[in-house]
Amino acid sequence: MSATGSAATGSAATARAGRTVHPAIAGIADRVREARATRAPHRIVGAGTWLDAGQPVAHTGRLEIGAATGITEYVPGDLTLTALAGTTLAELHAATRANGQRLTLDPYGTPRGTLGATLATASAGPAAGAFGTPRDIALGLTMVTGAGDIVSAGGRVVKNVAGFDLVRLATGAWGTLGAIVEASVRLRALPPRDESFVVAVDADDTDAVAATLATLRALPFTFDALALLDAATAHALDLADAAHGALVARAADTGVIVHAMRAALGAAGQVREAAPTLWDQLRTLEPAGCATIRLSHAPSHAVDVWRLACDVARGGAGWAHLAVDRTVARVTLPRRVDESDAAFAARVANLLRITMTDFDGTCIGERLPPGAWDAVPRPRSDSDVLARLATGVRNAFDPARILNRGILGAAGGDR
Amino acid sequence: MTSTAVEPSSAVLVERLRAIVGDQRVLVRPSELQVYASDGLPGYHKHPGIAVFPGTREETIAVIRALADARVPFVPRGAGTGLSGGALADGVVLLGLNRLKRILHLDPENRLAVVEPGVVNARLTKATAPFGLHYAPDPSSQTVCTIGGNVAENAGGPHCLKYGVTLNHVVACTVALPDGDVVTLGNAAGEQTGYDLLGAFVGSEGCFGVALDVTVRLTRNPQAIRTLLADFTSVDAAARAVSAVIASGILPAALEMMDNATVRAVEASIYAAGYPVDAAAVLLVELDGPAAGIDAEVATVEALCRDAGARGVETASDDAHRMRLWQGRKKAFGAMGRISPQLVVQDAVVPRTRLPEVLATIAEIGARYGISICNVFHAGDGNLHPNVGYDAGNPDEARRVHEAMSAIMQACIDVGGTISGEHGVGIDKIGYMERLFSDESLDAMCRLRDVFDPEHRANPGKVVPVHSCREWHGSAAWHSPRAEKDQTPRAADRTIMASRGKA
Repeated sequence: MSATGSAATGSAATARAGRTVHPAIAGIADRVREARATRAPHRIVGAGTWLDAGQPVAHTGRLEIGAATGITEYVPGDLTLTALAGTTLAELHAATRANGQRLTLDPYGTPRGTLGATLATASAGPAAGAFGTPRDIALGLTMVTGAGDIVSAGGRVVKNVAGFDLVRLATGAWGTLGAIVEASVRLRALPPRDESFVVAVDADDTDAVAATLATLRALPFTFDALALLDAATAHALDLADAAHGALVARAADTGVIVHAMRAALGAAGQVREAAPTLWDQLRTLEPAGCATIRLSHAPSHAVDVWRLACDVARGGAGWAHLAVDRTVARVTLPRRVDESDAAFAARVANLLRITMTDFDGTCIGERLPPGAWDAVPRPRSDSDVLARLATGVRNAFDPARILNRGILGAAGGDR
Repeated sequence: MTSTAVEPSSAVLVERLRAIVGDQRVLVRPSELQVYASDGLPGYHKHPGIAVFPGTREETIAVIRALADARVPFVPRGAGTGLSGGALADGVVLLGLNRLKRILHLDPENRLAVVEPGVVNARLTKATAPFGLHYAPDPSSQTVCTIGGNVAENAGGPHCLKYGVTLNHVVACTVALPDGDVVTLGNAAGEQTGYDLLGAFVGSEGCFGVALDVTVRLTRNPQAIRTLLADFTSVDAAARAVSAVIASGILPAALEMMDNATVRAVEASIYAAGYPVDAAAVLLVELDGPAAGIDAEVATVEALCRDAGARGVETASDDAHRMRLWQGRKKAFGAMGRISPQLVVQDAVVPRTRLPEVLATIAEIGARYGISICNVFHAGDGNLHPNVGYDAGNPDEARRVHEAMSAIMQACIDVGGTISGEHGVGIDKIGYMERLFSDESLDAMCRLRDVFDPEHRANPGKVVPVHSCREWHGSAAWHSPRAEKDQTPRAADRTIMASRGKA
């Protein structure tokens, strides 16, 4: 694999001391300042792939980031890359693969999605268990705050404690603190072998699931991805002979290790090769207009999370899968044909209220019909102090609520 | 109700603190405070006004509230091993947390531990060893430094190359804010929701509040570990080997480099590890993972080192040998302390591909200023530690050393690096912040700090230059009920004081 130091495509012109600002970033800052001057709330838009996510956004205009596209610095030998926020993940994956490397950001959804949106939503995909979430992968970023300031934090090196960590704060803030306009990310080398496997399991057999999860957790390997699928998901992925569900795994390492990982999976059942496209299919399974929630807990509660996820999925004629390595279940509830917004919202809200009453883990709404958001249980860690800190942070960066007003609800100081 | 801050050493405040923690846990005499005037960097001496050492979570909260009532600045301090002057209290209250040293809960099934901030890093790993687990962040001072201090600095260590830094191993933290309110950041029961306030808190160098307990992630012990020592006849060859190893796709658990000056310092000390004293540079490479693949990785790394020009490559024969090789690395700073009365150390991180160039620049700067520089660093992630021993009593030498260190830092910034990879900014590097960040960026950091500590009493004067903070108006951020300057202790605090007969 090639990882020699090739020339960068251009300097990362961020708002560091003494450096010039990229014209695209300057343009976005101007637009935010104009919006602030007229107190006009705006919706941040990259490629438009996340417009149905988050809580309803009150806005009179759109802040378009999609045109701020392009890799501004890529030195393969450093395993870091810097790009404007409107650059699509597809473009980044292609550029890194060409150098024998990979960007391990693989959020659910289309790869037409942008780097900026992925970091703003901190969307984690199947690879997050092995490589970290977007918050772990972002090394530095530049954002335009709601006050119109161009703020940079972090850097483009892989280790950095200079100053307070605005990178962590902005990542996953859904644009409410600033529109991310450029980011530096860490890369990984492509492994020599990359194989995927499927094991047919009975996803409804709780005891068997518990035993399988315990076995997997004790293995000395780290799979690139490891997911438990319910029958509906397995069916949607066309996994033959997986009528009751499946365990899917991605083993990427040397040939010796991959072979050992495959052998270890045998404890869960008969192991068959799966197409490498399996993961792309899983990530793009969710139809437009669906509702998606995530359930999570500590690993000791993995079976509870799974059981609840399956209950919710069944109750909504949807499907569920569990990231085994993170104990995060993803539940998708499709909208019925000709179902009105109000009816869909009422159905989802009712389902959540019925199923979540005894759940002491964490439930996060990702995509929900307006009207169903209030049914998402509040986090256990919620407190007045936490709410005041969140409001304070929002006030510090976007006091006039110019950016994505309402998208995080109370968690973003909007209620 | 007072409208101005109370002097840290005021009799009223001292009395109130003694009522909370006991007479012997409040130090006021200069001779008692002397030992707290420095941290791991011998060059700074800042004497606290007073020092207070709570022994329980409740006492800690009560102390912080008492300080809030008195509007007195304070500096949290763990073991005082920091290398940025971050735990120095210049005339203000030093809040020592080293007595909060209980491991509150071990959860091997979920690979979590809940610890008080004063728990020593290495002690946590020792406690979790019976479960086949360890706490991965391993700063060189791990036998002394505390988890609270690690959280404050977002500490790293050699094994963060593969396993990440402190932030990657903290899932939740209960924090006492400077105004005395308590909040839990993060989530041990699933994904984190809302803003990553935990991520903002870890690495905030004590400026956002005090950790009362930390929930950390434990790491399963690898199935196999191999530790290699490769020696080279040039620093350049060693740097080439580093690049080759990373480019191969192998991610070592650790990849450390020491130059000849460091090797000789180590081998002349009680920490001697058997490094070849005629080597221009040595690499300490640790590989770990499934047993099935470890031998192949060792063979690959050995070949890459030899191809790059390694004179010899040895693999540790047993645990004792491995420990000895690591002792030399981890005690390198201590070994240098034998050589000169004063030591300055930097912590810049540069892009890995620029390592050879930067190392050459450091050598040139050393020659230009007539000083001797020892390089020991985390080569795998480009985190340099140029160390210079000198005599602070020699003004000319001191001047040359400080000018040289400034030149080195600028050289690191110029190649796209940063000023601190793990030691923190503190006061030692605060002067470089404006070389790295724009005014707007520094002001944004100030505004974030204002949210947690609007009165700027927690570790004042650290991290961000004060003049970089625009005056902040209109923040609806934070109006604690305690901001009313009520000097009356809260009910819970009165209970603590009553138990000491002081209410």
